[in-house]
Amino acid sequence: MKLVLERFTKRFGATTVIDGLDLTVADGEMIALLGPSGCGKSTTLFAIAGLHRVDGGRILFGARDVADVSAQARNVGIVFQNYALYPHMSVAQNIGFPLRVRGESTTQIDRKVRSIAGLVRIDELLDRRPAQLSGGQQQRVALARALVREPDVLLLDEPLANLDAKLRMEMRSEIRRVQLETGITAILVTHDQVEAMSMCDRIALMKTGQIVQISSPAEMYDNPADRYVASFLGNPSIAFLAADAGEELRLAGGQSLGPAGRLAGQGPLELGVRPEHYGPGKGPQLQGKVVMMETHGREDLFEVDLDGGGRLRAILPAGSGVRTGASVDWGVAVERLFAFSPKGARL
Amino acid sequence: MQPHHRSYWPIVAALTALSAPLVIMYVYQLIDTVTTTAPGSIIPNGITLQHWQFLSQPITRDGPTIWALAGNTLIFACSTAVVVTGVSLTAAYALSRLAMPGRGLFLGGLIVLHAFPTLTLIVAVFLILQYMGLYDTLTGVILVKVAFELPFGIWIMKGFYDSVPWEIEMAGVTDGASRFTVWRLLVLPQVQPGLAALLIFSFLSGWSEFILPLVLAPANAPQVLATYLAAIIADDRVADFSLFKAVSIFYALPVLAIYVIFQKKLMNIYGGGSKG
Amino acid sequence: MRQDRIGFLFITPAVFAVVVFYLVPVLMTAVIAFTDMSTATGIRGGDYVLTESSLRKLDDASLPADTVAQLAEGGFVVDADGLAGIEAQFGAALTTRIATALLDEKFDNRREIERALNDLRAPELRITRDRKAAAALFQRSVLNTRHDTPESLRAALSVADIPLADHDQIVQAAYTGWSWTTRNFELLVSLPSTLRYALNTLMYVSVTLVVFNIGLGLFLAISTFYLPERTSATFRAIWFMPRILPPVLYVLMWKWMMLDSGFIASVLAPLGVARINWMMETEVHAWVAVILINGVVGASFGMIIFASAIKAIPQTMLMAAEVDGASRWQQVRFIILPQMRWPILFVTAYQTLSLLASFEYILLSTGGGPGSATEVWAMAAFRTALNNYGGNLQYGMGATFALVLVLIGTALSLIYLRFFNFQALLSKPRIER
Repeated sequence: MKLVLERFTKRFGATTVIDGLDLTVADGEMIALLGPSGCGKSTTLFAIAGLHRVDGGRILFGARDVADVSAQARNVGIVFQNYALYPHMSVAQNIGFPLRVRGESTTQIDRKVRSIAGLVRIDELLDRRPAQLSGGQQQRVALARALVREPDVLLLDEPLANLDAKLRMEMRSEIRRVQLETGITAILVTHDQVEAMSMCDRIALMKTGQIVQISSPAEMYDNPADRYVASFLGNPSIAFLAADAGEELRLAGGQSLGPAGRLAGQGPLELGVRPEHYGPGKGPQLQGKVVMMETHGREDLFEVDLDGGGRLRAILPAGSGVRTGASVDWGVAVERLFAFSPKGARL
Repeated sequence: MQPHHRSYWPIVAALTALSAPLVIMYVYQLIDTVTTTAPGSIIPNGITLQHWQFLSQPITRDGPTIWALAGNTLIFACSTAVVVTGVSLTAAYALSRLAMPGRGLFLGGLIVLHAFPTLTLIVAVFLILQYMGLYDTLTGVILVKVAFELPFGIWIMKGFYDSVPWEIEMAGVTDGASRFTVWRLLVLPQVQPGLAALLIFSFLSGWSEFILPLVLAPANAPQVLATYLAAIIADDRVADFSLFKAVSIFYALPVLAIYVIFQKKLMNIYGGGSKG
Repeated sequence: MRQDRIGFLFITPAVFAVVVFYLVPVLMTAVIAFTDMSTATGIRGGDYVLTESSLRKLDDASLPADTVAQLAEGGFVVDADGLAGIEAQFGAALTTRIATALLDEKFDNRREIERALNDLRAPELRITRDRKAAAALFQRSVLNTRHDTPESLRAALSVADIPLADHDQIVQAAYTGWSWTTRNFELLVSLPSTLRYALNTLMYVSVTLVVFNIGLGLFLAISTFYLPERTSATFRAIWFMPRILPPVLYVLMWKWMMLDSGFIASVLAPLGVARINWMMETEVHAWVAVILINGVVGASFGMIIFASAIKAIPQTMLMAAEVDGASRWQQVRFIILPQMRWPILFVTAYQTLSLLASFEYILLSTGGGPGSATEVWAMAAFRTALNNYGGNLQYGMGATFALVLVLIGTALSLIYLRFFNFQALLSKPRIER
């Protein structure tokens, strides 16, 4: 089902935390609300779920405006960071709870529970208690409970934050698989860019109650709307250099990147260089010195202090032999760098 | 913490000396009920069950039997426990979890009442029961006892509700359950330890209560074990400590049993005044 | 159902209890303190009865002597009631005769009605004694008749032809119920016993609190903290018992310990110490008893609170101190005690309030004696209003005593409120609708 937020506004007391937010999620699409804590992403999610009052604007499920509809009557499924399983009920009772409060017959509940348990692959666990399950299994139960009533929208509130690294990878693809198989419209709230990029069709990046950019993960990575988006995505993160664009693109430290091209005459600005676009032979060379090197197994991460000032990060295949303290004259792929005005707007 | 490399016998010695009078009292409280002792002596010289005759015949002629009194006390303590727990269960949930106008006022009132010295109101409460026609009835005493225990009960239960994760309720609400259903089916099972603790605590409190029945239901004959025991101790015609001790052990049996079973839980809740 | 409705539904029983047994009593205590309500006046507002004693009072209070005499004797009215009496005693003939001649006649005194009866020349009334008896049947005294309202008494006075000018004074004298007064407060200020109760309370609260609740409580908590689990559990159980045992039983144990036939006396007797009542022999004995009995219970409260506060101190902190070579005393002094500030403040605030109002253990042990040596304020209120030997319970005066405590209690409770992080307590429910 298509979900639309129109001029959605939320206040806590006198402070307006979200002011006129617009968002459209297509039917069957999975979208991420990404941002640092306090950016309003969870507030938005709770408003969609009906747990928070809406102070302005409309929330449309299909054609129906649900802004004034109670959480009980909205038909959304929600999965929480701590899973929120009912500890005194068995797995089957947990999953069947939404159907039970709707007054469905036991045989029907039993049938639906079994079918959804099959989908999330927990058929074996139906008689257990939540306390007897691993984190990943609990997550699957929570997902099954959210999906069993065939909700209009599936909401996921930091669902992977409590899992260890290995399980997180596994559950990432599991949730995506289930979402694709059921074709449900889903919203994922997360502060983890990897989660957002790997699981979702589109990402809405939020900052202080606003959506800064909304686009596909690749598009957002390759074409950030502003400095904030550029800095938020990418790990290791992008490096910024103060520069001045006249005829030449000259770094604040004095070194030059050659002709300024389309940036000519922009004056003072900031350049964003992703680690993969800086390295031996990538473009115009800059003199610098390796100040830090981390081995990540398959690749090595370097931090290089440029002569005259500025710091860049590079990521190179392992085995380059470059050590901390070495002088390097690696190049920057100028066609891939981003330029931002002093206020952070993309140039 | 157990520092193995330091001896702790000086502490044990100091504590033993301090505790000795209490231990002596406890020990004699028990052995005096089944022994005879010559007047002026403290060493028992025989074993007897005569102090326990009150179980089969009233101590004073035409006085109440111990069983009738125990029955009354049981009714009093159980009703107190059930009503206090019941009212606290709902009120504390509302204060802990439900958005409603005036919540701040109720919460502030709760804390003030939690500390308020209730016994100062006894004069007015005495008159109110007279006006309500409940003076000298067990019902009246139960109502007052319940009211006086409520702030503590609500405070304790609120602490238990506060520790239930919000997400459980949020999940319940989006699952389609009303707040009432969420409370009954999802939250109540999580606070069962609190419910049990409060039931036990208020039962004990009711079982031990002395002043309220004394003032509010004096009648011609005492109605509960506490006032009865106090009356026979004060009665100059009976002056037999062994008998008093036997009666009071009979009276304290439920307390002791509960203490043995629920020791940990009780320590927690008796200190619970400070926990939020 | 919306959650605020459920909320109100859920909280209503508690609010009802609070209103009936807290709010109303607080207000009532304040109101009754300004009355002379007692067993004698009743609690419901009184009736209006003229008695011999109220007549004497009126006489003293310069009511005209005629009126007093008139009240004492009353008037005579020939009415249906009286005629019924005549019929029963003298027969229908006389009844008819009197009714025809004298119905509704009024006579100020006995002489006049007797003369009127004599004038009837009835054979039944030939003898003086019969005439007197017949006259008596028509006597309508206002004395000793209960009236619910002043109007009813006034009507009776009018019937009895009492001068209208005197009615107010008479009605006032006849009132048996309570009335408004500030005399309780005057008494409170002027009676020397007031100061005694106040000082007793101060002594009782402060010594119990400082020495036992806090001092002994801290000692028990800290010392048991350093003992192996089983040993410390034993000591804590010993000290926890007094809190959980019914007060009547607990005080009984102390009585057995301290009375003249009790343990202390029996142990000391062979050593040549005279058997005395160690609980009541002198005021000092009584005070030691009262404070010990309350203190031991208080110490267990302190112990529980402090012990859980000590448990909350990070173990690593104490381990670090051990490693640093701190002696046990230094650990207590520099690590444990500084962390006890808030628990101590809490125990002080909470226990001050409960000690102020509690008198259960005193009532059961010394009963406030000898004399009123150990009588504390709360107990004075209780005795005056609810349990004195004289039998006339002074609700008004007792309420005045209680009012002082209610005011102090309310003030201290409000201060106590500040101990809590109220803002955090108020944190908004996360489900808004």
